Amino acid sequence: MPQEPIDPAGIHWTRVSPSYTKVRLVGWGIGALLTLLALCAPLVLHLTGVWEGFPLWLAIVIPGLMLLIDIIRMVLIPRQVAAIGYAEREDDLLVRHGLMFQKVLVVPYGRMQFIDVAVGPIDRMLGLCKVKLHTAAADATADIPGLPLSEGTRLREALAARGESRLAGL
Amino acid sequence: MSDHQAPEPHETNDLAPVDTPVPWRRVHPVSPLVRGWLAVVAIAFVYGQNTLSSFFGDEEPTPGPEMVSEAPLMLSLLIGAGVLVLILLGFFLSWRFTKYQITERHVNVNSGIVFRQQRQARIDRVQSIDIAQPLVARIFGLAELRFDVADSGSAAMNLAFVKLSEAHQLRNEILARAAGLKDPAAPAPLTEPAPGHGTGIETPPEAPQPAAAQGLGASERVVAAVPVGRLIGSILLRPSTMIMIAGLIGLGIGMSMFEGFAPFYLLPAFLGMAGALWNNLNTGYNFKAAASADGLRLSYGLLDTRHQTVPPGRVAAIKVSAPFFWRKLGWYKVAVNVAGIGGAGNEAQERSVLLPVGSYEDVLAVLSVVLPDPGVEAPREFFASAINGAGTTAGFVVSPTKIRPLSPLAYKRQGYALTDTALVARNGALHRTLAIVPHARTQGLMLRQGPLARRFGVLDLSLATISGPVSPLVHQLDVAVGRELFLEQADRAAAARKQTDSNHWLGDA
Repeated sequence: MPQEPIDPAGIHWTRVSPSYTKVRLVGWGIGALLTLLALCAPLVLHLTGVWEGFPLWLAIVIPGLMLLIDIIRMVLIPRQVAAIGYAEREDDLLVRHGLMFQKVLVVPYGRMQFIDVAVGPIDRMLGLCKVKLHTAAADATADIPGLPLSEGTRLREALAARGESRLAGL
Repeated sequence: MSDHQAPEPHETNDLAPVDTPVPWRRVHPVSPLVRGWLAVVAIAFVYGQNTLSSFFGDEEPTPGPEMVSEAPLMLSLLIGAGVLVLILLGFFLSWRFTKYQITERHVNVNSGIVFRQQRQARIDRVQSIDIAQPLVARIFGLAELRFDVADSGSAAMNLAFVKLSEAHQLRNEILARAAGLKDPAAPAPLTEPAPGHGTGIETPPEAPQPAAAQGLGASERVVAAVPVGRLIGSILLRPSTMIMIAGLIGLGIGMSMFEGFAPFYLLPAFLGMAGALWNNLNTGYNFKAAASADGLRLSYGLLDTRHQTVPPGRVAAIKVSAPFFWRKLGWYKVAVNVAGIGGAGNEAQERSVLLPVGSYEDVLAVLSVVLPDPGVEAPREFFASAINGAGTTAGFVVSPTKIRPLSPLAYKRQGYALTDTALVARNGALHRTLAIVPHARTQGLMLRQGPLARRFGVLDLSLATISGPVSPLVHQLDVAVGRELFLEQADRAAAARKQTDSNHWLGDA
């Protein structure tokens, strides 16, 4: 676990399921494949002789750089997933994200407008879900991906119940 | 808005006079014309031009006019009259099918001829009511009521058009109910009724209405006004205006280098610029902010006038800004985030301005209405150093000195201060801003840190509020301070929230 210098002191974070890494990896794989294919187009055109004018070195360097960036991103994914965490306090929910660009968010239960539980196709295969807590402020949307379904349901019920009892209107 | 849980008016018994069904009322008969006059004029113009030009035998006016040109004048006039009758019939039906009703708990508006729409809004959820008068409506002495409800922003209800006096009366009535005055006979004004030199526009007509509504509507005291000269000066001294003018000059010089340049090529650019300036002028003209029992009342407009009320309980964040070119003149601008107005769009931008340009005294006067309890001993001195000061005076905590390479000018200024009721964030050295977020209105807090900030050991703390022009941010705070403030502020917000019930306007402040 990397050090977490901006987290408030004395918070015990609940981490998300490690298998969420797989979800992120699949997403990464599709994205990387598509961009690489697109960026390889000049190279293919050059080799097939359709676009001779395009410099060969550039046609190789562009996808090469992209590949490098993609590999770095892939290596970071497990650590990024490990950096996601949430903590339920008495009056509010804390969520943290990020490694390079860290972000810690606190959302009061009473400000909650509604809760989403979303399950994507790969989430479903792995038995995961994503809980999203919306408030009236667009930037205070707590986003907890990669929760086991049971934990997601529990969290939703718990948040809804606390939201009800601490209702604060707008 | 669906309100399944909302009890029907007749089921409640805490509101005495509900039992009699409230009659449906109609909007003013001219309303459809006021809304659709442009279409009528356009049709009449096009049709008239086609008909006349073809009849009087101009050579080949438009493609495919054979039918018209061969028809006698009588026939084309008949067709024109027929279209006119159809339009008028449409207007009549549209008027006929538009009805509204104001009950103790809801505002209902039914409209539509073929696709009928029944919209209901809960009065205690109505965030604010504007009275707008587009130019044509003004000619007829009519006004439009616009209701903002909390979540939609865009699809707010409107009631167009009723007589201006009636609009004021309706607004006062609804505001009185929305403010939670359950007993209409109860004394309404919470603030001192001003020894009124009101503008006179708010005075309700002779029609009978509850005493509370009368009280709410009548007591109003102008706290700030914008003279035309200052408005024009402020518009000219805006960076956007200066960039526009400079760009235009640059464009002119650039274009004159080419051969065959004619000045009228610049016409579109000129028109665009004039439009933007006009918009600023139109919405800031005759700007008046007045304190009343139900909040800050704003009225403004040159051709289209608008009256709007900002209840203090709905203000989620306040921003006081001093752009660089205004500072020598001692001018400031005040804008707020208010639920229901929304953040995007031109109109939302205009409507969240509490003071387009004003002196420090004006700023204080406006603040005293929307932030009745600033939570400091000496608000005047506090806000003076909050807006223009630097360093740790007035309880401010600023960025650490080590941040100097990143923010050479602003590092002494950017910081925050806590009052009993709000967090105040100060930012910017050239363009100075001050954001005020009441503890009870904090929607959430966020700490952020990127790689560069980590090297300097600082972080940003942003306070989440409902969308609007204000995005409060405490920039580049020392990590230790920020981490501590984060949880403290969350607890403070929770404590403040417990003390307030924001469902009624006047219950909190």
